[in-house]
Amino acid sequence: MNRKGISLMLILLMAASMIFAQGGQDSDTIKFGGVWPLGDITGEQASKAAQVAVDEINANGGLLGKQVELIVIDSEFNPEKGAAAIERLATIDKVDFFVGVVSSGVHLGQIPTLKTYKKITMITGAASHLAEEAIGADQEWYFHLHPWDYNQGASYVEGWNAIAEKYSEISIGRWFLAYEEGAFGSASFEATKALFSDMEIDGEPFLSAAAGGGDYSAVLQRAKAYDPDVFIWAGYDADALPLLEQSKAIDFDPALFVGAPPGWPADFGESKLAEDVTLYGLWAPSLNEISEVSAKFYNGFIAKTGTEPATYFAPLGYAAIQIIAQAVEEAGTMDQDAIIAELKKIQYESPTGEVISFGPSNIISNQGIRNQKILQWQNGVQQVIWPFEQATSEPKYPFTPWSQR
Amino acid sequence: MNKKIVGIVGLLAVIAYLIILYTIKPTAVIYGIQRAGIYAAVALPMALILGIVHIVNLAHGEMMMVGAYITYFISHSLGLDPLLAAIPTGIIMFFLGLLLFQVSIKHTLKAPELNQLILTFGVAMVLSQTVNLIATSQPRKLSLDYVSASASLGDISFGIYDFVFPLLALVFFAFLMLFLKKTRFGKAALAVGQNPRGAQIVGINVQLTYAVIFAIASMLVGIFGSFFLTKFSIFPAVGGAYTMKSFCLVAMAGIGNLPMVAVASLILGFAESSIMSIPHGASWAPMIFFVLIIVVIFSRSLKARG
Repeated sequence: MNRKGISLMLILLMAASMIFAQGGQDSDTIKFGGVWPLGDITGEQASKAAQVAVDEINANGGLLGKQVELIVIDSEFNPEKGAAAIERLATIDKVDFFVGVVSSGVHLGQIPTLKTYKKITMITGAASHLAEEAIGADQEWYFHLHPWDYNQGASYVEGWNAIAEKYSEISIGRWFLAYEEGAFGSASFEATKALFSDMEIDGEPFLSAAAGGGDYSAVLQRAKAYDPDVFIWAGYDADALPLLEQSKAIDFDPALFVGAPPGWPADFGESKLAEDVTLYGLWAPSLNEISEVSAKFYNGFIAKTGTEPATYFAPLGYAAIQIIAQAVEEAGTMDQDAIIAELKKIQYESPTGEVISFGPSNIISNQGIRNQKILQWQNGVQQVIWPFEQATSEPKYPFTPWSQR
Repeated sequence: MNKKIVGIVGLLAVIAYLIILYTIKPTAVIYGIQRAGIYAAVALPMALILGIVHIVNLAHGEMMMVGAYITYFISHSLGLDPLLAAIPTGIIMFFLGLLLFQVSIKHTLKAPELNQLILTFGVAMVLSQTVNLIATSQPRKLSLDYVSASASLGDISFGIYDFVFPLLALVFFAFLMLFLKKTRFGKAALAVGQNPRGAQIVGINVQLTYAVIFAIASMLVGIFGSFFLTKFSIFPAVGGAYTMKSFCLVAMAGIGNLPMVAVASLILGFAESSIMSIPHGASWAPMIFFVLIIVVIFSRSLKARG
């Protein structure tokens, strides 16, 4: 055979193998591509929870008679790696759906690539409205589960006002915010001032342990001198225990002690300093008492991983898979438009204790959860104290003085 | 004006400043001493390496981080208090330092300084990534009752545990001064630091001296890591900031000048606590650090010229 003939044969062979490979993939599996930071507890647990959902679906016969596969890539909290992961999942792994993300910064890096492929995408994190602006309107394939920052802020105002109204002894007129001096903390301070503009608010920055700091003595002394009704700190999980220890050391125990980090140390509840600390979140194990879906998710997660879900990113990872799976079943086809139509109609009873449906937010068409919950550490367990319809406990007020612990 | 008078005037000015500061903001003086203790304890081992081995160890903070993790796992698995676990940690870190020196550092002793910097930077990356793989990036902290011990001064309550850091710095300083001035090996190490070729001619094993000094510094910074764990959360990237602060303090003090490291730490500690005691001043604390560095470098270059 001459050179031309050999070349033609090779091209035909390659084309045939690609067609067969594609055909085999289509007939065998439905693929989800997940991108989370696996070195961090949020991403690690979200990816494991997503796998729990995939295992449940496969155990029940799969989707449309096909097995489901989850391919996870580590974003390492790096926007470039997060974007490269989407590229790889789309071109090499040829996934059908994208799920994942914890950080807004990583998501901002991914958005141009996501817009290239326009596959159905279910986002479990990324609260920044900048990400929403980057996505823009009319991207019908884009679904955002996690509340945007302005959704969270609005729910805090609603929640605290509701708590103060229901429990007359709880006073919320005077606030002090200790905030890490980076973008997250500064934005939280500005947002708090704007949201609670009819209240007395002061604040002071601190250098987070995550940025080489960890000494909160000055900011805590300032807060103590201010004598607030509500003390909130906005930093990272590395700040949680040292900040409480230093509060105890200077005998600063405000009536409401609130922490607003993105995640908590896994064993935080075991410390007696954690008692009565109030926090914001979307899920807590105590929801198992009032939600069968939460209990099913929780037990499945422990059975698979041998550890407890420690952050709300785990139920969001689980929910992301289950929501798409439910829509695929309803659509009865893998046609993207049909699945999007079903997603827009979905009423998914989620482990977070609420029925998730999608509707317009400020910019995008498909926003899922809008409310953060207000929770409180009580006897080592995070209890939901607001919304009242999902509450698992009454608020403990005031914060137990250090001298009585 | 001669040096002695300048020294006395400087000392009196510092005392006057501290008295005024104490009158206005007593906590600023207390926190200043505590911060200075942390800075001195972490910078002294780096000053030892720089003074004798003549290497800028950019893995210094990472060695502290490794020491803290070793203590964490010892304390977590054996239920041992981290302050007690500092003893086995120090021993492990001594041998880890020895191994690190033999495997990597000793091969760049005669190389250009840039190569040494790149090597130690590489070691820092390897250490932090290894810990990241083993322990993940999730912060860890032992909850210890005694860390919250407090005292009152009039209406002011403040933590007293942090005075453990100035004490630790004093112990490190006393140990190093006694070791270097009173022991045979220490005197030999000083000689190696001043003139390695001359020391070799008189029969001192220079390579062994470098190795042992590097190991001792690793041991001390590992012990500091154990104490660090009692107050702060630890995670793989926690050491980077302490490498930088240690290096700048050692640069301020002058190469290998241990007493001046303590003085530089006090200056930095009080400067930071003073600025932090002003409302909204906490953001300026890192700036103070760089301002001091610039002032010192500027005054040194002026002195060298004139």
